[in-house]
Parts: sequence; C-alpha cells; structure tokens
Amino acid sequence: MVSTKLYAAIYVVLFVFATVQVVVEEIGLLEEAYWLAFGLIIALSLIKALFVAGYYQHLRYEPRSLTYLLLGGLLAALALTIASSYSVT
Amino acid sequence: MTHDDHPRDDGPGQAAADERTKPDDGSPRTDGGRATDGGHAGATGELPATGPAEEEHHGFPPMSSVKRWFVTTNHKDVGILYIVTSLLFLVFGGVLALLMRVQLWAPRAAGEGILSALAYNQSVSIHGLIMVFWFLSPFAFGFANYVVPLQIGAKDLAFPRLNALSYWLYLFSGLLLGISFFQGGSFAGGWTMYAPLNIPAYTPSIGASTAILALLLFVVSVTVSSVNFLTSMHRMRAEGLTLRKLPLFTWSILLTVWMMLFAFAALLAALMILSADRLAGTTYFAAADAGGSLLWTHLFWFFGHPEVYIVFFPALGVMAETFQTFTGRRLVGRKWFIASMLLVALQSFVVWMHHMFLTSINLQIKTLFMATTIGISLPFDLMVFSLIYTTIKGRIRFLTPFLFSFGALLLFIIGGITGVFLGAVVLDYEFRGTYWVVAHFHYVMVAGVTALIGGLYYWYPKITGKMYDEFLGKVHFALYFVGFNLLYFPMFVVWETPRRVFEYDPAFAPWHKVATVGGFVLGASFLVMFYNLYTSLWAGEDADSSPWAHSTTAEWAIPSPPPLENYPGIPSYGDGSLSFLDRLGGSDRAADGGEVTDGVDVAGDHATDGGVADDRRATDGGTVATADPATAVERAGGKSHEHDAGDHGEGHGPSHASIWPFAVSVGAFLTLLGLSGLQEGAFAPGLEGGLYMALTGVGFLVGMASLVAFGRERFHGLEGPFGESWPFEGIENTKTGVWIFLASDVVLFGAFIGSYVFMRVASGWTTWEIVPGDPLPGLMNTYLLLTSSFTVVLALVAAEKGSRGGVIASLLTTFLLGVGFLFNKGIEWDHLFHEGLWLDTNVQASTFFLTTGLHAGHVIAGLIVTLYLIVRAWQGAYLEDSGSIEYFGLYWHFVDIVWLFLFPLFYIL
Repeated sequence: MVSTKLYAAIYVVLFVFATVQVVVEEIGLLEEAYWLAFGLIIALSLIKALFVAGYYQHLRYEPRSLTYLLLGGLLAALALTIASSYSVT
Repeated sequence: MTHDDHPRDDGPGQAAADERTKPDDGSPRTDGGRATDGGHAGATGELPATGPAEEEHHGFPPMSSVKRWFVTTNHKDVGILYIVTSLLFLVFGGVLALLMRVQLWAPRAAGEGILSALAYNQSVSIHGLIMVFWFLSPFAFGFANYVVPLQIGAKDLAFPRLNALSYWLYLFSGLLLGISFFQGGSFAGGWTMYAPLNIPAYTPSIGASTAILALLLFVVSVTVSSVNFLTSMHRMRAEGLTLRKLPLFTWSILLTVWMMLFAFAALLAALMILSADRLAGTTYFAAADAGGSLLWTHLFWFFGHPEVYIVFFPALGVMAETFQTFTGRRLVGRKWFIASMLLVALQSFVVWMHHMFLTSINLQIKTLFMATTIGISLPFDLMVFSLIYTTIKGRIRFLTPFLFSFGALLLFIIGGITGVFLGAVVLDYEFRGTYWVVAHFHYVMVAGVTALIGGLYYWYPKITGKMYDEFLGKVHFALYFVGFNLLYFPMFVVWETPRRVFEYDPAFAPWHKVATVGGFVLGASFLVMFYNLYTSLWAGEDADSSPWAHSTTAEWAIPSPPPLENYPGIPSYGDGSLSFLDRLGGSDRAADGGEVTDGVDVAGDHATDGGVADDRRATDGGTVATADPATAVERAGGKSHEHDAGDHGEGHGPSHASIWPFAVSVGAFLTLLGLSGLQEGAFAPGLEGGLYMALTGVGFLVGMASLVAFGRERFHGLEGPFGESWPFEGIENTKTGVWIFLASDVVLFGAFIGSYVFMRVASGWTTWEIVPGDPLPGLMNTYLLLTSSFTVVLALVAAEKGSRGGVIASLLTTFLLGVGFLFNKGIEWDHLFHEGLWLDTNVQASTFFLTTGLHAGHVIAGLIVTLYLIVRAWQGAYLEDSGSIEYFGLYWHFVDIVWLFLFPLFYIL
C-alpha cells in the first residue's frame, strides 16, 4: 500500500491545483483567452480527479476491471453530454 | 391431466425416455440434457429434498405463514413476490387499456363515452407507465430473481436484504402510483412525460407529482436491484461456470442489468430534475429559453431506448431457453447469439435520438442516428435467424411455453420490420404521432410479454412443484394470439389515427371496433391463464425436478420447488457437468447423493459450452470440455483462486429473515407521499398542507430509524466467491457493490452536469452568466472537501494500524469538515437569496442550485454515515475489519471528485 507521506503529498498537490484554478481566473486569463483558460482549468480538475481516484480510492492498486467499470459510466455520461450538446448547434 | 399427455412424453416413446433416465452404471441421471449451458443439469433422485414446508430455518417462518412474506429475503420468495405483484399490475394496466378501447369504439367528442377527456389522458399515460415500468420489467425480474441464482449455482443473491428492499420499494412505488389517482387525478401527459406538459403549469394536480415521485421510487428500486444482480452474477458463479458457459437466460439478464445500471441513472437524473421543477420551483423544463423541452427528450430517451432492450432482453432469454428445451437442440450459433446481445446492449446507448427526428435537433445528428438505428437492427437479424434455424435443426414439441415463445418470435419479427420504417428520418416525419408507432411498439413490447408468459408456463412447475393444465395452456395461447393480432394489426391499417387522442376519422371506426374486440379477447385469455395457474396449485399433477425432456440448465437438477438453500453443497461445473462439492472442508469430493452428472459422459465428451439434448453426441460446436485447453485453463484458474470455496458460510447457513427492507420502504413511501404536497418549495397552508408535511416528517423518521436498524442488524449473507468471479476476482462483494453503485452515480451526476452543459450550449456558452459572483466560497469548500477526503484516508490508515483513537479522531475531523462545507454553502446560498436569486429566477440559478444541491445531498448522506461510523468506532469496531471505513471512503472520495468538476463549472468558467 501507499505510505501516509504520499497521501499527504497528494493532498498538498490537490490543494495547490485548486488554488491555481482560481488564480487563472484572478489574473484575467479567462477574459483574455477564454478557451485556453477553460482547457487549463478543466485539465487541472481532471488531474486532481485522477489523483483522488488513483490513490485515495486506490484504483491504481485494484484490478483494472474497476477502472473500466467507472470509465464505462463516464463514457455514457460523456456520450449524452456531447451528443446532446452537438444536436443543438 | 393424465400421464399420457404429460409434457415429458414427447419423444419417440416413453420406453425410450425411460431408457434415458437409467444410465449404465445405475447412478441417477436424467434425459439427455447434456450440458447446454454451463454443464449438465441432471437428476435429483438422491438429492436430500427439503420441501419448503419443513424449512424451519433460523426461525424463518414457513411459506404458509403471512409473516414469512414480510420478512423474507430469499431470492425465490422475492421472485414469487415480484411475479405475483407484477401480474396484479398487468391487470391494472390492462383494465386501463380496455377503458381506452371502449372509449375508442367510436370516434367521439370530448366528454362522450365512458371516459372524460382528462380521464382518457390519464388512462393513456398511466397505462403506458404501468406496463413498461410496473409490469414488464418486474415480471421479468421475478424470473430473474428465481432462476438466475439457480442457474449460476448460488444459494442466493449477494445482498439478500437489498433484494427484498428492491421488491418493497417496487411495491410501494406502485401503491404511490395508485394513490395518485385520488389526489385530483394522476399524471396525464403521456408515458414519455414530455416537457413542458410535465410541469405544473400544464399538469397541475398533486397526483401528477405523486406519479412522478412514484416513478422516482421505482427507479431507486431498480438501481438497488442492478447493483445486487451485477455483484451476484459476476462474483458468485459456480466453479467452472465462466461467462461463456452462462445459460442464455442468465446472459440476457446480465446484459439487461448492465443496461439498467446506466440507463436508469439517466432517468433518475431526469426525474429528480422534473421533481425539482414540480416541487421546488426550478425552471429546467419550463425554460422559455432554448433547450428546456429538448433537454427532457434527450434525458428521457437516453434512458428510454436502452429501456426497450431492458424490457425485451429477458424475453429474448426466455425464447432462447425454451427454444432449446422444446426443440431438443442447442441454440444454433449460440456464441454469435450472445455476441449479438452484447452488441445490442452497447449500441442501445447510441440510438436515442431516433425518437427525436421531429424535434429541432440538427440534420447531421439525425442522419447519424438514422445510421446507428439501422445498425442496431443487424444483430437482431442474426438472433432471429438463430432462433428460426434452431427450430429447423431440432424437433419441435409444441407445448405451451414453446407456443408462446414461438408466437413471440413471429410478433417480434413484425414489430421489428415495422420499426425500420420509423428509423428512417423521412418516413418518421410521416409516421410520428400516429397509430403506426402505437402498433409497432406494441408488436415489439407485447411480443416480449408473450415470451415472458411462455416463461411463466415454463418455470411454473419449478416454482410451484405442480404442472399446469396443458390443454388450458393451449387455449390461452390460441385466445392470446388471436386477440393480440385482432387488437394491434388493425392499428397498422388505420395508422393515420392520431396517437394519444380519442377523436379520429369516422372512416376508421370499423377497424377500431375490431381492435376493441381483440382487446377483450386478449384480456379474456388471461382469465384462462389465471384460472389454470390458480387451480393447478392444488389440482395439478406433481412436477418432478424436470418435467421437460430436454431441459439443460441447473434449476432443473434440483427438486421442484427447490429447497430453501437450493443446493446440497457447493455447486461446481469444475469437471464439465454440474456436481455438488461437500460442504465440509471445501474438498472436491462430491457430497453424498449430490452427484448428478450424467454417468455416460464421464469418458470425456461432455459438452460444457454447447452440447445437445440428443443423447451421447455433442454436435454443432459443443465444446468438449476435456479437449478444450481454454476451459482447462479456466478450470485450473478457478480452482487455484477458489480452493476455499467450501469454507464460506460454514457452521451456519445464511440468514433469511429481515423486516427492515419492508420498514425502510414504508418510510420512503410516506416521505414521498408527503413531498407530493410540495409546490414552489412550500406546503399549502391549512389542513391539507399540514397533513402532507406531517407525512413527510413521519416518513423520514420511519425511514431513517429503519435504515439504522437495517445497518445494525446481524445478517449473515453469502460472501463467496464460489468459483468464477471474473472480472471482479479478489474484490469483496460489498466493495464490488459499492463500485458498481458509484458507476451509476457517475451517470447520475454526469446527466446533471450534462444537462447544465446542454442548457448552457443551447443558450450560448460564453454569454451565460455564472450565478455566484465570487469563486472564493467555492474555493473554501474545495479546501474543506479535499481535507475531509484526506482525513478519511487517515481514518483507514489508523484502522489498519489498530488505533481506535486515530480512527475516531480522523472520522470526527471528517464530520466537522463536512459540516463546515455545508455551513459555508448555507452562508453562500443565503447570500444569493438575499440578492434576490431564487431557484426559479432563471435557468442559470436553477442549474446552479439544483446541481450543487444534489451534491450537498450526497454530502449530507455521507455525514449521516460518518456519524454512524463514529459511534461504531467508539464501540471499538473496524480495528479488525476496516472494510466499512474503506467503502465509505470510496463514496466520500467520489463526492469529492464530483465537486472538483462542479467547482470550476459553476464558479469559475
């Protein structure tokens, strides 16, 4: 298993990333280049989510089937979101 | 019934049949049912039969006791409850249908005839809802409950109490629906509940809200059931019973449940949003802006199209099963049949917009979905030909179950072909909203019913231990088939009749009269069935373990009805046929009297994956177990990781009784009944409003107290694994269940976030104004939630180190951080309210409050569990077994992850 130290280090990373997301907004990047800032902020969320799922939920150390299970749910949600949004463009 | 027309006597003569039951070595075996599915299901002559009447088990009442049915968690009991209850709903939905048909006897203006205009609309709507939700799926799941554990060689499902909970939630959701008629009228906006008809402006009665809440409760029941079945079917299969060898009915249920898990989560989201619109005053579907009514169709049909297969697959499973049994032939192309089902299950999630060809979605996406729709018909073609070819290669025995199954195939072919018309965009422009659609989907859905009725006759002897009357069964089929076609075929002829409307062109009247007559013939056929099945309970001939000559699945290897714990020992297909391993010590010895393999096959030609009912030959690709390296490897693997199968549940059998599933459901029922009185977030002033408020409060207390009692009750379930548990080897049942639940929660939140994205895209992404003016409260909450996730991790670490103080301190910190999160959110919301922003201010506010509110609800639920864990940890729990903390952590981290996306989406971007 993972050491408490690593858990703590991940916690710090999560904390910092959350702060960076707000900083991106505060420095006005959203106004300047919305989609760049959008990509940056979502990417940071994605990385945070992967850390939580991979280590706190220890998916990294579980059989891969659990990861696929979750990815299946995610895929369904994304299919709904993307296809429905595209349908009204 | 005389012995001579006993269904078993169907072959070349009784002597030959008798011969088949007497193997050379004198050991018991049955007719040539050689291992079609998973192995051989053989005779039961020496099985220690314990009839249900003598099962005084851990204080578990006998079947004759009323109490038994309130406390039972046994899968067979729950299966019977499902079947009986769903048949009651069939009658309910059927009577509504007959009322419509009487009204349609002649084209009449509103108010003429037996139904008022609104009563007609309610009949149409609730007929649809009942038949699709409260009859069809639960009817199929009655069989699934009864048969699937038997077919996979399990003594029960993984979570027997959750199974009972599913049933009681289902029953009470149905009662709620019934009550809705007495609250100023039930929902009258059609079974598809299209927006904006579904909001109070157009369907203002309280009963309409109750109907929506009833469906919501039903969906909760389905979700619980999905988690339970998936865990059981993946984790608790007998040794040697790999997925490839799974019987076809079980395969169909497995895929059904997977579709249910994801599809119903989308419906849950849709219904939660709709409930919020109706009760709390959000404005998703009232949206005067772009998107509101389209959003509903997207959410509903993203669920609704897989739902077609969710309803139809179990019927397909019954057809496959009965075609094999009554042709004495392994299903032709069995492997491809399974592959087709798998393909359809996947494809079912990418065809939903063919229900939306007449909406304002763009032409590109319509074209794409027309293509995917045509694509999904292809695997069905393969399945249909597989069934047809099986009848050609086998020798058909026209007994009642087969008649219904075969009838179902014919009806389904007509339903399928007429559906292709609707899948073409240009034709749909013409056909949409007409009786073509009505006729088409009744030919599909009621074909499913037809097969399931076949299943009822098929498994009736197994469930009751009695034979039904074959003659009356055939009479039922004749009336049913004639009635069905008289009812639905004329609808194709006068397809220009507008759907859901009681006025039509008088020129169509003769055909509608024919349809009405057909409806009554179809209804009357069920009277024959009820009479037959009811009287046969007493007057029927006793059924032995298998009344069918060529049955091959495991449920036919044990007495009818099966004993409480199904099998005398641990079922195993390790050597290619079904045998029972000694309970004690987990050795591979067959228990005394438990060996039911076909003695003839031992030389090495058991067909495990195929095989035929015809004796002594494995034909048509029936894999020969001993010669199949893959099987040998799987078998070895199965043994290596499951040598201690016999150690599980030793010393005492599983528990069977718990009243708490019933009590929790009563609580949920009262709560939702109370909530139906909400409008715009408040109860009406006066006595009525007070009553609804009181119901909500009482229901909530009953529900919470029962949940705590449920959690505290000592209940010994079955852990497993017992052999095969791909792909969740090494992950305990509860953990598997939690993950599967979380996967459905991903879709739930995904649909909420998707709704937000959709509404925002529809009204212009960058012009959308974010509700909170300041991201800092959101950032604070992100910090709080991240920290609470970290403390849950610390709690688990402390538990593993055996530190009671550490566990309590960490959990307590988690609790306080969670409360801090809610407190902070409360301040923020209060601030927004004071700025004049309310749930119904605009769609931006609606999406903000509802999505983050759903998340807050998850936090509250987590905090309640945390409190419970703290109390238990205080009492010294979790130091030996930290499972509960780990499983709670999985949930809590998931809630954290959701916030990681909600925060930027609702506060920054």
